[in-house]
Amino acid sequence: MMWYEIFKFELSYRLKRPDTYIFFAFLVLFSMVGVDFVFQGIDLGAVKKNSPLVIAKTMGAITGIFMILASMIMGVSVLRDFEYNIESLMFVNPIKKRDYLLGRFLGSFTVLLFVFSGVFLGMVLGESMPWHEADDFHPFSLLAYLKPFVIVTLPILFFGASLFFVTGALSRNLVVVYTQGVVFFVIFMLTKAITNEWLQAILDPFSLTTITLLSESWTITERSILSIPFNGILLYNKLFWMALGLLTLYIGYCKFEFNVIKTTRFKKKKNPVLESQTVADYPSEIPEFKLHYDIKSKWTQLIHFSWFYFVSICKQPSFWAIAICGMVIILINSVSLGTVYGVDSYPATYFIVEELQETSGYFFVIILVFYSGELIWKERTAQLNLIYDATPMSGFINLAGKYLGLLLIYAVLIISLIISGIIFQTSNGYYNYDLQVYFYGFFLEIFPLLALVTLFAFFVQVITNQKFVGILVVLLFLILNIAFVLFGFNHDLYIFGGSSLAKYSDMNGYGHFLKPYLIVKSYWFLFGMILLLIASVISVRGTETNLIKRLKAAKHRMSKPIMKLGLITFTSLLILGSYIFYNTNILNEYWTNSKQITFRVAYENTLKQFENLPQPKIVAVNLNLALYPTSRDYFAEGVYTLKNTTDTVIEEIHIQKLIEGNVALESVTFEGGALRDTQYATFDYYPYKLTQPLQSGDSIQMNFKQTYTTKGFEQGGSNTNMVYNGTFFNNNDFPTLGYNRKYELQDDRDRNAYKLPPRSNKARRDDPSALVNAQSGGDSDGIRFEIVMSTDKNQLAIAPGNLVKKWTTNNRNYFHYKMDVEMINFYSMVSAQYEVKKDTWVSTTDAASKPIDLEIYYHKEHTYNLDRMMKSMKASLDYYSTQFSPYQYQQIRIFEFPRYAEFAQSFPGTVPFSEAIGFVLDIDDETDVDMAFYVTAHELAHQWFGMQVEAANVQGRLMVLESLSQYAAMMVLKQHYSEAKVQQFLELQKERYLEGKRRESGKEPSLALVENQKYVYYAKGAINMYELQKQIGEKNVNLALKSFINDWNTTNGKLKMATDRYATTEDLLGYFRRVTPDHQQDIITDLFEKVTSLEF
Amino acid sequence: MELIIDNLSKTYSNGVKALQDISLEIPKGMFGLLGPNGAGKSTLMRTIATLQEADKGSITLGDINVLKQKNELRQVLGYLPQQFGLYPKISAEVLLNHFAVLKGITNKSERKELVKALLHKTNLYTVRKQNLGGYSGGMKQRFGIAQALLNNPKLLIVDEPTAGLDPVERNRFYNLLSELGENTVVILSTHIVEDVKELCTNMAVINQGKVLLKGNPLQIIAALEGKVYQKTIEKQALETYKQNYQVISEKLYLGKPIIHILSNTNPSDGFIPVKADLEDVYFSQIFGSTMNLKSIS
Repeated sequence: MMWYEIFKFELSYRLKRPDTYIFFAFLVLFSMVGVDFVFQGIDLGAVKKNSPLVIAKTMGAITGIFMILASMIMGVSVLRDFEYNIESLMFVNPIKKRDYLLGRFLGSFTVLLFVFSGVFLGMVLGESMPWHEADDFHPFSLLAYLKPFVIVTLPILFFGASLFFVTGALSRNLVVVYTQGVVFFVIFMLTKAITNEWLQAILDPFSLTTITLLSESWTITERSILSIPFNGILLYNKLFWMALGLLTLYIGYCKFEFNVIKTTRFKKKKNPVLESQTVADYPSEIPEFKLHYDIKSKWTQLIHFSWFYFVSICKQPSFWAIAICGMVIILINSVSLGTVYGVDSYPATYFIVEELQETSGYFFVIILVFYSGELIWKERTAQLNLIYDATPMSGFINLAGKYLGLLLIYAVLIISLIISGIIFQTSNGYYNYDLQVYFYGFFLEIFPLLALVTLFAFFVQVITNQKFVGILVVLLFLILNIAFVLFGFNHDLYIFGGSSLAKYSDMNGYGHFLKPYLIVKSYWFLFGMILLLIASVISVRGTETNLIKRLKAAKHRMSKPIMKLGLITFTSLLILGSYIFYNTNILNEYWTNSKQITFRVAYENTLKQFENLPQPKIVAVNLNLALYPTSRDYFAEGVYTLKNTTDTVIEEIHIQKLIEGNVALESVTFEGGALRDTQYATFDYYPYKLTQPLQSGDSIQMNFKQTYTTKGFEQGGSNTNMVYNGTFFNNNDFPTLGYNRKYELQDDRDRNAYKLPPRSNKARRDDPSALVNAQSGGDSDGIRFEIVMSTDKNQLAIAPGNLVKKWTTNNRNYFHYKMDVEMINFYSMVSAQYEVKKDTWVSTTDAASKPIDLEIYYHKEHTYNLDRMMKSMKASLDYYSTQFSPYQYQQIRIFEFPRYAEFAQSFPGTVPFSEAIGFVLDIDDETDVDMAFYVTAHELAHQWFGMQVEAANVQGRLMVLESLSQYAAMMVLKQHYSEAKVQQFLELQKERYLEGKRRESGKEPSLALVENQKYVYYAKGAINMYELQKQIGEKNVNLALKSFINDWNTTNGKLKMATDRYATTEDLLGYFRRVTPDHQQDIITDLFEKVTSLEF
Repeated sequence: MELIIDNLSKTYSNGVKALQDISLEIPKGMFGLLGPNGAGKSTLMRTIATLQEADKGSITLGDINVLKQKNELRQVLGYLPQQFGLYPKISAEVLLNHFAVLKGITNKSERKELVKALLHKTNLYTVRKQNLGGYSGGMKQRFGIAQALLNNPKLLIVDEPTAGLDPVERNRFYNLLSELGENTVVILSTHIVEDVKELCTNMAVINQGKVLLKGNPLQIIAALEGKVYQKTIEKQALETYKQNYQVISEKLYLGKPIIHILSNTNPSDGFIPVKADLEDVYFSQIFGSTMNLKSIS
């Protein structure tokens, strides 16, 4: 049994190698956090973390990510004989090819199984790790882990093992072994682009899509408990890949040549170098030359080295293989960009850049860890190290040259990515290449981090002095660094590399985020320099490899210039570090996660007692707001008129300042005087004891001054509301009355840990105290509103109301807005450089009415969909004012704001629209639903459902506001486009509903009692409202809504006035019932009061 | 300028005593370091070439303290290690240019001329554009010497340069070495006696980390003159001869052993006197001679 001998030899050889155990330990460690890593940011809902489905997916993903380990284990098996030049010794022995290959394959495959059993072991151990909550798990079952391991992981390991073994044996090239793991990953990504679900499920080597398809129809409980059935699609998937593995092995067996010289190689060497001829007349004198050891020559050396190492990587096919894989993947992935409601956006450069950044990460990491190892080992691999080491070159210059060479490689990869991005844009007929955005997106956002991690990788390679160990340490470090941030340790001063740069916005560029970002990066770069300096004096030079001895020898190797450089770097590091600390922790407040949680807990424990304290209502707001966008400051003076609408006398008014360090409430005064109580100052919460108590029905004026002052920079992103171009905030930033629920701890698990009772999202529908409020907080039942806003000369400032006056003094623009009717206490204040598109709309039915001004304030390049939005405003106003009630204001302003947030929202007469949606959608009227049109219609519907009629802040509130707006917008869509487009839209809603239902951790509520479940009030709301309309007719539904608005109008609805409470779904459904024929009454119950599953 | 090694000792962590109190004075010119494989030659060479630390002792070259002022020594050092590889996909010209930069020849035009001259000198000029991967062993060694000569070294260390070279290649290589000026200290380590005989003005024999013998090859040979005898014998008789005579070498000639013995008087018994050879000196030292030849030097 010759093969058995070879098998045993292979096994014992591997078992003596430390890397076998290091790989194993690495997988165990990683798998312990495997579920958390793979499902990071995904709410598993009621599905437990050790449900077979989750385990199977995690195992598939981990196997996929670390396929590269399989390549390192399997690929080197045969290759090793060639590496150590013992192939001639091996092959002259009377071994049969079959025995040799079989023994080697089975030997390394056994080792591979051992290493990957680390995934199994790690996940089992992970279950009992302290960071896991028992609630998230079923009782432990070994089978739950064993079965997915056998079904999902083993087959693909077999395929991977076969493929890597064969390529390693046939290519006899170590670089191929490195690269094939990456290529495999790319092929996996390629399968994602296949649109045929079934084919995709078959072709996914890691069975992720397969399992998704297989469990598509499972209910939430099934997802949690069912074990993965090994039949159907999954069986075919596995059979396919195992068959492919066998085929690969067979091909490899046939192609493998059992001899020393590869035939192809031999052919290549057809022209071996001939012995050179003596050139007779050469000058035998060695010419004069000088040796230089000064700074200038060091500089020349540095440049020379950088280029030398750069070229040496460029010559490696593996690099180009990775680069081309990266480009291919990008072209596949970029197919749909910035997709909103199923409509793609224009391939604007920043979308492309974000897509590139996301997908290229994997490739950059691969290049970084491998080539940093390669470069550090370059001389030793070629056995040139003794010659190098005996030259008078400075170790630092050499290392720095390698470093710069690798940076150049990154630059080449980046430029290839940019080129592929431009190709993609061009092929989509988009020619507005924003090279600056490309440049910034890569050289500002990606490159500095790569540069920093590379310094660290060099350092690790030098310290460990073991290539593979070094690679693993770097990977582990990267994972830990991310984990640290997730655990709430996120200060730029100790998280390696600092935080990432905020999103690029067409409106605001990188805004004020850029400067601190660069400062933090410089700080880390100095740190990295120190690592490089240390590495240069402890790197192996000569024959000594022992780390301790190298450390001891380091002080002799530290030359004066190195010492000086180190000292300067270290001092700069300290200075810059202190400067950052001064900005983030002294000028501004730095809140750790735990500090934030403790604060919220203390807030609730101390102040909850005031939650139901009778407070007056705000009935009028008069503001004077000076915005200074360039310095990101504002100064506000305001007057609230407060009215006691309760039956009791109010003695104390409680003022809550916005809890944010930059905001200062400089003065608060009350008509008639009041005494400030400062005992809750920690919470910025101030009870004012009125000198003259406020009698029931009486009003009082409150004056305040509030400032927003930007001081230095803050830790992490900082405020995205106050920016250079696109300032956007609302009334919640100004003082509010009484206890504020938004400062409570939200997460149920955290609440439990701090012994706080569970927090209900919405009050019950019959809770009388909640019925009198339309919003949480409920500081008002409607206000009169007036504001004077000023801003920089190049910006326009917008707020609700009629523009009374507009003027310019002292290089500042002033705007005076006044609302002539009562409106809800919800207003936004905006300032940016805008272009304006204007139009008017006149009611066709009500000849007496005044024309309504329609205005769109947009960023000058975002002109794509303005006409669609304008058309939608007119269509909506036509439909709603005829079907429901007249429009209550004299204008509608849509304005664009930076894409830090992605939503559209409705305020009285004003609709802020994020840059990210609507404005840049690339709508194809043939295939897409016109979402710019639809979203505008939806937001305009809120001028009725939300502004005219408000809903009580109880269960079902969001059905009244959102489901009705969805309905209204669909009707406008139907009228202007077609029934077919509405059906297409509803398809999307169905998907959204199912997706939401899948993630639901609690019970799905009925529409009438919906709380914060978006998939119910948006998606199912649209579907069911449409169904209602189909059943009882559009006319009837509109009739019901007309009476509903009429009766419950916030300012003059007769039922609203009579009951002194806000409407609920119970009221709404009453109107529906009234217009529904008797025999169809059940529909109302089925659609809105029951949780019925949808029929497809 | 002279290289002085004083009481140099080195013991590896596995207990092998690689160098034991080595003391040598090496003047300008070719110095041969002779010894069998594993004698400690490479350890000594690497220590002189600043690539390894010694446990005790000192090495000085002129006023450079080699063990402390490593970088100063490297500036005047040329080193060709016993085993080395070359980047296979780079041409000789490019790699030599790279080494020239490494060594501090940062003036571009000077460097260009120098590289050209050295390629001529090592007879690699016509193949300078070829990738090093295709070079033969001899070409590789000549490239190695070209790189060692780049900085016009005052101390040149060549560790077993002819191992694995065919006779033609070896000759080429020696021609190259012998051309080196008289201003350089050249240390050539080898286990091939011929090498030393042909090239060196001074030599030392070391074995098991100790210097067994040092001096001028001719004088050393002279000391053995008239004491070496040779005889062709039968294989079976070898052991008997070893017991009765001081056998210093044995080699096969047409399948039969020829032995050399050391004797102050003519042993007759079929032995014929032969002219003493450096090889005899070497073998007499390595294989336990009772005669103390150290006195000769």
